[in-house]
Amino acid sequence: MEFEVTESIQDVHTNLALQLEMAKDGGKKVVGCLCSYSPTELILAANAIPVGLCGSTQEPIAKAEEILSADQCPKVKATFGRAIGGTCPLFPLADCIISETTCDGRKKMYELLERYVPMQVMDLPQKPEEPAAFDHWLSEVEKAKCFLEKQLDVIITDEDLARGIRMMNEQRKLMTRIHYSRKQSPSPISGLDFANITSKLNYYVDHEDYLNLLSAFAQELEERNAKNIHASGVEGPRILWTGLGNSLGCNKVLRLVEESGGIVVCSEGCGGVTRTEDLADETLPPLEAIAQRYLRVTCACMTPNTQRFEDLERLCADFDIDGVIDLAWQFCQPFEIESYRVRELVRDKLGLPFLHVTTDYSAQDEGQLKVRIEGFMEQIEASKQRTRKTVENESRRISA
Amino acid sequence: MQAKGLQGETEVMFVGIDIGSRAAKGVALSGDILLCSTVLDSGVHPGKTGQLVLEDLLTQSGKKKSDIKFIVGTGYGRVSLPFVDSTLTELSCHAAGAHFLNEDIRTVIDIGGQDSKVIRLDEDGNMLDFIMNDKCAAGTGRFMEVAAKALEIALGDLSSTAGKSVCPCEVTSMCAVFAESEVISLLASGQKPSDIAAGLHRSFARRVGAMAKRIGINGEVAFVGGVAKNEDLGRLICEYLEVNFVRLSIDPQIVGALGAAVVAQRSV
Repeated sequence: MEFEVTESIQDVHTNLALQLEMAKDGGKKVVGCLCSYSPTELILAANAIPVGLCGSTQEPIAKAEEILSADQCPKVKATFGRAIGGTCPLFPLADCIISETTCDGRKKMYELLERYVPMQVMDLPQKPEEPAAFDHWLSEVEKAKCFLEKQLDVIITDEDLARGIRMMNEQRKLMTRIHYSRKQSPSPISGLDFANITSKLNYYVDHEDYLNLLSAFAQELEERNAKNIHASGVEGPRILWTGLGNSLGCNKVLRLVEESGGIVVCSEGCGGVTRTEDLADETLPPLEAIAQRYLRVTCACMTPNTQRFEDLERLCADFDIDGVIDLAWQFCQPFEIESYRVRELVRDKLGLPFLHVTTDYSAQDEGQLKVRIEGFMEQIEASKQRTRKTVENESRRISA
Repeated sequence: MQAKGLQGETEVMFVGIDIGSRAAKGVALSGDILLCSTVLDSGVHPGKTGQLVLEDLLTQSGKKKSDIKFIVGTGYGRVSLPFVDSTLTELSCHAAGAHFLNEDIRTVIDIGGQDSKVIRLDEDGNMLDFIMNDKCAAGTGRFMEVAAKALEIALGDLSSTAGKSVCPCEVTSMCAVFAESEVISLLASGQKPSDIAAGLHRSFARRVGAMAKRIGINGEVAFVGGVAKNEDLGRLICEYLEVNFVRLSIDPQIVGALGAAVVAQRSV
């Protein structure tokens, strides 16, 4: 399905490297980010342009395996391979990178990536609910601020930080509107179109233009809802996507789900609504507000990561979900193990069909995935029939 | 089995065709009567093999193609069958087939040529939940083939060979590639084929059993698929799970095709 914003987004995306180079010629700085934990407010406060540098395709992996062992997750390998193999047009433009100690694969890979570009690895506490965690993380945020000041040769004032917070909050509010347009049934956009557009929407040169683009997209989706324009005539099972892989390039599973008749209407985790609906508190001292906001981000690298489960429960109800797909990359220990608890929540507490998928960026397992996903759709259909039967029996019992 | 259907129902039939990675199965059903069934090698052209399965069913039943009211295709090759009326995954078909044979079955363990699955079903034979093996040959019929070849015994003799074991070996590798070299080195170190076969079965049973426990075992349990012909393996999975499999009145390999035929019958 075509969207009016597609062209402008495509325009930004295709010429991104060139535009960034031009901005750099004009004195702008570029800072690389690798994760949802990177405090983008700091980068905006430094008047620099944030760019995501995560790899999400199969091609750069061979290059990475010249250095990293093959049994690392595809994200770690693709990110590293793109950076060192010269296939990422953005990597050479980054003046420096802000990263965090999330999973083991990432943090050990960063030790090697650091050889190619100045990098600040923030020490992320992994039991965020511990009282001491916040103080430590706050000092890490402050260190990252000092790192940027030194690398970019700027001074970041509290006013700058407050401005960065306002910019990010505006962006998040618009993105949240975009996500919530899918609450309507039938959804105005397929999950695949959504992932394609929003993945590209992560990139910008000028933040003001970017907000205008987000606003136009939000409006377009809301108009579709008002005019009853849907992604498909008859809506199939409404799927909530949790875990990893909700992005451009690694959309193999997303495509299989929608080819099998389902539609992804909500996503939790990276690339999902939970990353956008949580704002930084504009009433707090700015550095504290930033630190608090990022310590609330959910990820399986955290323990016990309680918030993810609360989010899932709320979103399943809000988005009228028929089934949940939980994706983990191969060799991702945190998400693989946490999946057991996600299954318990979804299947046993919420009574919804649940599918866990382990995969990578390659196309080699499409046949096997297809069976799982089509089987899952059949399971959802059976579950819906069962619910209808129970309701009918109940109403018959009441009327009798 | 007795037909409890309407008069003349045996005139029409419903067909299920299950094209797996190694074997192609077909079942013709009329009411409660399983008219005939067939098992062929899948070959390289699933479409052609499917046609052969269909022809075999017609020959065996002495019926014409026009007597067939509905055909359901299942298995990996289901998309290559142009003549079917609809398709369904083998997950739902195994649930339907097992339910047809015994309504008390709530868990189905299916081990085929290229994957193993555990399926939970409800009292109507609908699939409630399922889990599948990782996307490699560990814990599949293919693994058994490789192991049998390395032991230089026929696949069908693995069970009886293992049955003779006094002291099963510890086989650690479940990878079809590494198990082969492990078997060869165990043979070279003087271990008896029976003890190696028994050891392979034991580690295989642990793997499948652990997967089954991950989604939970419930009610009566059926063991189906080509690998279910291996009685020694079945016994070890039962031991691991502390259950007894229900006795099936038909070849466990054709349960998926039977389920497809059951669904075909339900579709009209």
